[in-house]
Amino acid sequence: MANTQPTGALDNSDARPRRSRQLLAFVLDNLVWIILIIALSAFALFIPRFFQIGIFLNIVEQSTFVGIIAVGLSLTLIAGHMDLSIESVMALAAMLVALTFGTGGAGGGLVLSPSFLAFPVSLAMALGVGALIGALNGILVVRFEINAFIVTLAAYIWGRGLVVALSGGRSVYGLPDELRAMAIQRVLGIPFLAWAFIAVYVVFAFILNRTPYGRHLFMIGGNMVASNRAGIRVARNVILTFVLSGTLAGLAGWLLASRTAGATANLGIGMLFQAFAAVVIGGVSLRGGQGRLSGVFAGVLLLSSIQTAINVMGMRPHFTMMIQGALVLAAVLLDTAKNNIRRRYL
Amino acid sequence: MASPALLNLVDITKKFGAVEALRGVSFSVSAGEVVALLGDNGAGKSTLVKIISGEQRPTSGRLEFDGRERHFASPGEAKDAGIETVYQDLSLCPNLDVVANFFMGRELTRKVFGIPILRDREMREETRRALTAGGTRIPSLRTDVEHLSGGQRQAIELNRFVHWGGKLVMLDEPFAALGVEQTRRGLETVDNVRQRGIGVILITHVMAQAFAVADRIIVMRQGIVAGDLRTDETSPDEVVRLITGDIERVGQGFKQQEVGTNL
Repeated sequence: MANTQPTGALDNSDARPRRSRQLLAFVLDNLVWIILIIALSAFALFIPRFFQIGIFLNIVEQSTFVGIIAVGLSLTLIAGHMDLSIESVMALAAMLVALTFGTGGAGGGLVLSPSFLAFPVSLAMALGVGALIGALNGILVVRFEINAFIVTLAAYIWGRGLVVALSGGRSVYGLPDELRAMAIQRVLGIPFLAWAFIAVYVVFAFILNRTPYGRHLFMIGGNMVASNRAGIRVARNVILTFVLSGTLAGLAGWLLASRTAGATANLGIGMLFQAFAAVVIGGVSLRGGQGRLSGVFAGVLLLSSIQTAINVMGMRPHFTMMIQGALVLAAVLLDTAKNNIRRRYL
Repeated sequence: MASPALLNLVDITKKFGAVEALRGVSFSVSAGEVVALLGDNGAGKSTLVKIISGEQRPTSGRLEFDGRERHFASPGEAKDAGIETVYQDLSLCPNLDVVANFFMGRELTRKVFGIPILRDREMREETRRALTAGGTRIPSLRTDVEHLSGGQRQAIELNRFVHWGGKLVMLDEPFAALGVEQTRRGLETVDNVRQRGIGVILITHVMAQAFAVADRIIVMRQGIVAGDLRTDETSPDEVVRLITGDIERVGQGFKQQEVGTNL
């Protein structure tokens, strides 16, 4: 079946487009990174005391929690759904760990022997509760065919309610140092937290791009009916995606508890919107089937950089929210513009 | 046609609430046989396709395939049994490239520490070979399908089924987006598939296509089989009258009943 265009030796080739187009495609694909570099350069030039290794490390470390829940959000968005429960799941996991092991406030002060067991046991608890809520969300979305927005909004609300109920609104503090190894240790001068953040992105970028599960996720988000007809087990894959998203939120909660050495009832409030902003800025399509974790990574760093810059400048923190809100709108407009350019020139 | 039927449908019905889409459909298809399924809009062709392909379950009736009674719970199961379907509304993912679509749900992998990893280079090579063998020319296999023309998309689907083969292929209006020359090649493709011993059900609106390639023509009307004829024993005129309901004719036995007075 010949197509109607005049074609030469390049038919059915894996040839990449011409240089100029390749460059344009590269710029469009990595626009967030370019913006991040420009923003960081500008901050370094114009804000005194901004250009320090410590500040950059701080930006990466600060990004960990939003960054990790943004991965789960990206996965569910790529599959054509969404997960709004991540913030509350993160807080719930943190609170459960704190209530069990915390020595101050509402903490139960559980001591295991040998004491280093607190590390794996608390991690398993956090991941387990995340996976459980993820599975519940996934089953409600797939088996009961309820819109993911509703299901996960409900979990966002009841999850936070549960955090407050469990703690009685009180704070917990005094987590043992064994449990907090992630927040205390450094490797190559870089905090362990930052390594965890980077590792999550490397692992999940690999899963998305190089495994059948990842590819099927894009297919389900792109055309669910076709995926089902092609024999892809759509229901199983979608539930698994919600489980992963919940588990990642659990991981973020565990890290957050380590970092803050405890938990409060309003821990992490607002991080859902930051994660959403990062994901949109990073180029993940809300329509499903489109997105790259490298973009999300840059999006998270960009938001965190702006926040840090505002702190360093001594501006009041509500400016951060205004700028982040404007950034989200700009990202969506930019996305439309990018698609137009793509259609016209690529 | 001496061999036992590859696909045998016995009294298949399908109800959607009060609506009877299929009211007892029976026919069979042998290996290496091309059967054209004709009928007006709403005759039940698409519903029948969905039942055979495992997308929907019949309300009653038997579906035998490859010598066994089957109850397909999903398209994946029908596919595993050897039934390939090319749907009228295309089954491609526009957000992915040609190679990903060609291998949809059947990706080649290798295990590294038990983790399946995609073998992109091998898949690209195999796609290139299959498309070239099918006479399809697409400038770059890295192109996302959304940037391809309707004809190119349909060509990918047709090549996909030819490549994966199976035992029975159902084509639901496969040439709708194709030009004259492309349609001719498409019909040649159907003929090639038949010669490989694969059974083909071709759903079409175009009489000429049915007569060009089919061994048998089955006419559906209002949810039943109104005519089941050998192509060389009938004429386009007769088929049209079957479709519109002027006459009914089932099986080889020439059981004709004049309903209308004249055309």
